[in-house]
Amino acid sequence: MSLEAHVTTFLACIIPIYVVAFLIYVVRVVKGPSISDRVLAVDALSFDLAAFLVILGILFRTAILVPIAIVLALWVYALDVYVAKYLEAREMGD
Amino acid sequence: MIKLVGYEAINWLLVILGEVLVAIGVFCDLMGALGMLRFPNFFVRLHAATVGTIGGAVVPILGAALIAAGCDFLGYYRWFMAGAALVTAVLILIIAPAGSHVLARATHKSKTVPVEPKVVDMLEEEESKGGG
Repeated sequence: MSLEAHVTTFLACIIPIYVVAFLIYVVRVVKGPSISDRVLAVDALSFDLAAFLVILGILFRTAILVPIAIVLALWVYALDVYVAKYLEAREMGD
Repeated sequence: MIKLVGYEAINWLLVILGEVLVAIGVFCDLMGALGMLRFPNFFVRLHAATVGTIGGAVVPILGAALIAAGCDFLGYYRWFMAGAALVTAVLILIIAPAGSHVLARATHKSKTVPVEPKVVDMLEEEESKGGG
């Protein structure tokens, strides 16, 4: 078995487990009783989506998917800080 | 010929190491998702979020960086992919705990969710005594 076939098979087996984890996170995002639960679930979902993008980049032999993961992680951190600011001060800030 | 065999062996070593890390990360990701679904309230779910972000995102990205460094069929851009994946992993390692701490602090201060299984809550006592 060549290296390329080995890596492709392994990553193709990893993909469905990630998709199942994403679906479970989405259940919590929809169900979450409070705004904090939803934001926490979106947080974990997006960081895992960043890992998924890197794996897809190897599987599709596309280097351009990896910098998108950096941007996604930074925007989710911005979402955390915005929601925390709103919860604490009841305003979005100037 | 000897040199070529050594190069192949290093590639295989990098790929196997990366696949072990990705497998650990996928397991942590599934466990974090199940915990996020099953745990009773927000402050308990913070634990599942940590398992899902550090174990489920940082570790597989490091493994993917090793795999990308070992796959020479990706061409010259594999070094770009490995470096960018390493930067992403370190970035998530810094900003995921910062984000969840910010969110937990704001949730506690705004009393959005009651702190359910608790023994002592010094922060709440201090706020009610000192007026915030």
